[in-house]
Amino acid sequence: MSDIEGSPGSSMHGVTGRELTFALSVASPIVPTDTTANFDLPVDSEHKAKVFKLFSFANPHMRTFHLSWISFFTCFVSTFAAAPLVPIIRDNLNLKKQDIGNAGVASVSGSIFSRLVMGAVCDLLGPRYGCAFLIMLSAPTVFSMSFVKDAGGYIAVRFMIGFSLATFVSCQYWMSTMFNSKIIGLVNGTAAGWGNMGGGATQLIMPLVYDIIRRVGATPFTAWRIAFFIPGWLHIIMGILVLTLGQDLPDGNLSSLQKKGNVAKDKFGKVLWYAVTNYRTWVFVLLYGYSMGVELSTDNVIAEYFYDRFNLKLHTAGIIAATFGMANLVARPFGGYASDKAAQLFGMRGRLWVLWILQTAGGAFCIWLGRANSLPIAILAMILFSIGAQAACGATFGIIPFISRRSLGIISGLTGAGGNFGSGLTQLIFFSTSRFSTAAGLTWMGVMIVACTLPVSLVHFPQWGSMFLPPSKDITMSTEEHYYSSEWNEDEKKKGMHSASLKFAENSRSERGKRVASTPTPPNTTPTHV
Amino acid sequence: MAPPPLLLCFILVLASFSDTCFAIISFSSLQRTLVVTASHPQRLLKAGEDKITVTWGLNQSFPAGTDSAYKTIKVQLCYAPISQVDRAWRKTHDNLSKDKTCQFKIVKTPYTTTNHTSEWTIERDVPTATYFVRAYALDTQDQQVAYGQNTDAKKTTNLFEIQAITGRHVSLDIASVCFSAFSIVALMGFFFAEKRKGGKAQQ
Repeated sequence: MSDIEGSPGSSMHGVTGRELTFALSVASPIVPTDTTANFDLPVDSEHKAKVFKLFSFANPHMRTFHLSWISFFTCFVSTFAAAPLVPIIRDNLNLKKQDIGNAGVASVSGSIFSRLVMGAVCDLLGPRYGCAFLIMLSAPTVFSMSFVKDAGGYIAVRFMIGFSLATFVSCQYWMSTMFNSKIIGLVNGTAAGWGNMGGGATQLIMPLVYDIIRRVGATPFTAWRIAFFIPGWLHIIMGILVLTLGQDLPDGNLSSLQKKGNVAKDKFGKVLWYAVTNYRTWVFVLLYGYSMGVELSTDNVIAEYFYDRFNLKLHTAGIIAATFGMANLVARPFGGYASDKAAQLFGMRGRLWVLWILQTAGGAFCIWLGRANSLPIAILAMILFSIGAQAACGATFGIIPFISRRSLGIISGLTGAGGNFGSGLTQLIFFSTSRFSTAAGLTWMGVMIVACTLPVSLVHFPQWGSMFLPPSKDITMSTEEHYYSSEWNEDEKKKGMHSASLKFAENSRSERGKRVASTPTPPNTTPTHV
Repeated sequence: MAPPPLLLCFILVLASFSDTCFAIISFSSLQRTLVVTASHPQRLLKAGEDKITVTWGLNQSFPAGTDSAYKTIKVQLCYAPISQVDRAWRKTHDNLSKDKTCQFKIVKTPYTTTNHTSEWTIERDVPTATYFVRAYALDTQDQQVAYGQNTDAKKTTNLFEIQAITGRHVSLDIASVCFSAFSIVALMGFFFAEKRKGGKAQQ
């Protein structure tokens, strides 16, 4: 599996579908260790790490992991840095509710496009330069908060800062060059979850920085502008660290990334076609908009909500808002773990049920949050809501690798974009208008979460079933091989292009849950000489 | 579940119990017994520069003894209705503990039976908006018992506009440009230096 150079979806090639979303390491017989290599961690034949050693900074694998997630974390900090300071900013810039809401929409919209471009950038320049370019070119956008004097400027700057969220793509891409595909699930999930924590950390950091600057003597309307220098400096520092300490590949060589021209590249048009025509893709685009999307929306509104509704001090509201985003530390991996456990027992049907339960529970708690009239109840509801939504994000990516083998990269990308789109939409409908108070907005957002999670019951895999339907009884249709090779036409199958899909299909039989042992052998996979 | 959020939740629950409870005071129950006037330059006022002179006193047409409970006078700068549109964080509530109309304190002094005047320089954290002045009479428990304001009941007369400071500074702008330039130059520097090194190695 050495097609590293970034044909569409190649960053996810090698994901066999059998890796637990929570696997910490892969043992030797399954993936042989390259004993000639001289790294701190055991590596495979491509020198990708087979073990995920969290508290190590060993070059290059774990160092890459830490550089990567911290860069993504920094971009989350700067994208949501304005949110806890809105009570000050709205007075300085004379903002109305629509302006605040529009700025929130703008902050998550930019990255829909920048994430798509980032894939191409990583292909051309490698993930290290992709990450460094983005993070250092978006530093000026963070600093330009000093110049903002009205609603238009504020919205424009938040839009530009939001582009930096595309570091998600460079982060995941970079992980896949450094870690073996059997543990890439956990690695990517942890990196994504910890990066998302930045949305929570910023609610703590920014009011604290603002307070310190005020004590030193600045007036409020100047202090918040100075506070933005902190995320700006973080961008520069992380950019320099990535450039000086990072490397694209375990062996350190960028040019080899571009030299391996022997692998048959898949056609972008075809890959896109199979992603777009699979209805499951769109169900998950919608669903992720109501797990990740509502998480981003809440990051933008929750501090101001607590400040206004319960008359708290700015930094108290910030602390409470921070717990929402910081739950990502464990909630997202927990979702992946729950998905895996359900798959062991009930197969894919279990994964679908777990996702539905977690995301609907999140929606219910969001409704409770909007209706809570006392501070302790509101905090409890918010924490439960955060766990539900973030675990649902983790559970979503427990299912995504199985939707398609050929178009996995694009489907992941579309799902991610769906998250941002969902966030923009909910902020536009519920938090940009004076028709609803923020409390009512939260309640209605909860209702929308519950409603938009229902389509997961429509996701049906012929070989595994769906939430309410068992797998197909038809002998050919009920095989994993049939499902995954249906993405290739006869010509391509003749060329053997679907061989990786077949291997994936075989490995994905674990998604039958406890029924694996009792599956009938499909007729055309039995060798002629037994 | 992560322990820290739960612990925080627990602490906050305890903290909330430490609030003392007051009876709900509604604005409509207060009598307008004070006469308040505010004088200022007749133009757009600038925060941080211009002064407002506020005068207040008991309306003599009320019977003697009306002010027996008044211990302190708190004079505040309040938002006019036009500045409350689409801004729920400035909303007027009848329940005074929820009311957000008056967010800036001009002066708080002990009550005197004679008329009192105070000059106030507009603070630099006052936002751009249209305002009026209101004075609350407080009793020994710091609860509102009466009020007076320089505008009418519908809050349409004697309003004045204040222009906030921008919060921007030339030094801040320059620092911003410098750091931005540094970021771009550093990036380009690294990129081209590595390209040149890579080119040399290949030769």
